[in-house]
Amino acid sequence: MIEITSTPIVLVIILGIAGVILPIISITQKRSISSNVYGVISLIVLISAIIFVIYQLAFTETLSFSEDVLTIDLIGDLFAISMLLVAIMTTVGSFDFIRKKSHSSVYFSLILLSTIGMILVAYSTDLVMLFVAWELMSIPTYILAGFLKKNPSSNESALKYFLFGALSSAIIIYGISIIYGITGSTNIAEVMSVFSTIDAEMLPLALLAVAMFIAGFGFKMGLVPFHMWLPDTYEGAPPTITALLAAGTKKAGFAAAIRIIIIGTIALNFDWTLALGTIAIMTMTIGNLAAIMQKNLTRMLAYSSIGHAGYILIGLATYPLSTIGLQGSLFHIINHAVMKCAAFIAVTGIIIAIKTTYVEKIKGLGIKMPITALGLTISLLALAGVPPLSGFWSKLMLFGAALDAGSTYSWIYWLAIAGVLNSALSLAYYGWIIRKMYFEGERTIRIKESKSIIAVMIFSIVFIVGVGVYPDPIIQFTEKIIFQLTMALS
Amino acid sequence: MNNTLIDFVIVSITLLSIGIYGLAVKRNAIRMLFAIEIIINAANLNLISFARFLPHSGGQTLALFSIAIAAAEVAVGLSLIIVAYRMYQNVDIAEFRSLKG
Repeated sequence: MIEITSTPIVLVIILGIAGVILPIISITQKRSISSNVYGVISLIVLISAIIFVIYQLAFTETLSFSEDVLTIDLIGDLFAISMLLVAIMTTVGSFDFIRKKSHSSVYFSLILLSTIGMILVAYSTDLVMLFVAWELMSIPTYILAGFLKKNPSSNESALKYFLFGALSSAIIIYGISIIYGITGSTNIAEVMSVFSTIDAEMLPLALLAVAMFIAGFGFKMGLVPFHMWLPDTYEGAPPTITALLAAGTKKAGFAAAIRIIIIGTIALNFDWTLALGTIAIMTMTIGNLAAIMQKNLTRMLAYSSIGHAGYILIGLATYPLSTIGLQGSLFHIINHAVMKCAAFIAVTGIIIAIKTTYVEKIKGLGIKMPITALGLTISLLALAGVPPLSGFWSKLMLFGAALDAGSTYSWIYWLAIAGVLNSALSLAYYGWIIRKMYFEGERTIRIKESKSIIAVMIFSIVFIVGVGVYPDPIIQFTEKIIFQLTMALS
Repeated sequence: MNNTLIDFVIVSITLLSIGIYGLAVKRNAIRMLFAIEIIINAANLNLISFARFLPHSGGQTLALFSIAIAAAEVAVGLSLIIVAYRMYQNVDIAEFRSLKG
């Protein structure tokens, strides 16, 4: 049984109550309340939630894959912490963006509700729970993507996102129905034990189910055959919500994928390395090649986020052969969440100040908005994997794992080669943005930067540089996660 | 009349194919939404028919959850489509071209 004081239940209660109460406050109050009040309430709730998770993590022992619907394990804790970090950064970054807009209480409340969904996806070990949490995560973000009702591109992005998101959940529920038909259970631990002794004639159906999961989660993760919606949605949605999508829901897709695909791989004893490796190479190459042709900063970051999904997939593809790969994946997930969120919040700051995101228009940004430009530069360099920053270590682990696994299949070396080449390619367009910001444009005066965005920038600079200089705690934590996962699987 | 499990599964697979065909061919947002609904209902039919031939009813519970969630999803989707219709006087997603590149 799950206790009422366990991490996910308490998080659902505190975030859920705040999420439901915020719109009620705004309806019942006659006079209008400043949007900052709602923002501060949800910020307090999110910060208390993250403190609770860290406290529980430090003082309780956990086990992976119980018979329960939710399991409090280290992998769930890692994802919960990174989702809450992203939610906090998004909420703080939204303060100045949402100030003049209507329905700000609904905006903050939907962010809280979507965060509950992401956290539950990370903790769920039952397919029913996983599906419900997946929808709880997705449905608020459909509305949030179309939040700027008067803006045609916001609406269009929300409609595209909705159609592909609904398709992805339809495919996932079909996959769940097949797995339920084969195993007679929806608990992932039971599914694993049935899968490991599966009949040879049932194997194709089980593979079909796992392939449906890859497709369904792949839509959210932005893997390449399923990535068509992603640039449009990221460009049209409000930039703060793009931060939430790129850093939050995408990572929740990976949380679900690690739970199901890896376990399906191991239990079915079927080699997915070639399929996942091909998807990884295609994803990073197409993402980075498309990004280099973009003129719009948001769209460029959207394609770069497709490319990073490819890097993270290297770890999943090489998992049975090398545990360092999955460790690197988890490390890169938390790094990419912070880096991408910081980059999109910086874009929010640019939109508030100069109303456009075309790279040609941000000339001289280093003088106009020094702190936003510095935050954007640091996060771009970290995304490219420049050594003293956090992105370097996770990429090193991923490519190192690909080289390590190359002793089993010689083609896996190509994963590492493609990864390194793509990182070099990405440095080209990140460098182009940085050059426009610092080395072009005539002398301009400084524009007033929004305080909330400065706060997010300072936090992310400290995080990225701090983790880059001293990555040991997170690496050790991911090592413990992998140890727990292998113990549970063996 | 006795129906065997395979009958239900064949109907479900047919519905899945109809849904995928609808998504691939149609460009009207409402038709695409209905195609997705057909896929979800194919999965529900699968779940209920498997639950009938299994000793417990977990599948029916999941089907109930999925019906309720699909309703919420359709509510959100139709509201987005209505906003798009007010803006463009049209629900053809091939006509929405403010974003490209």
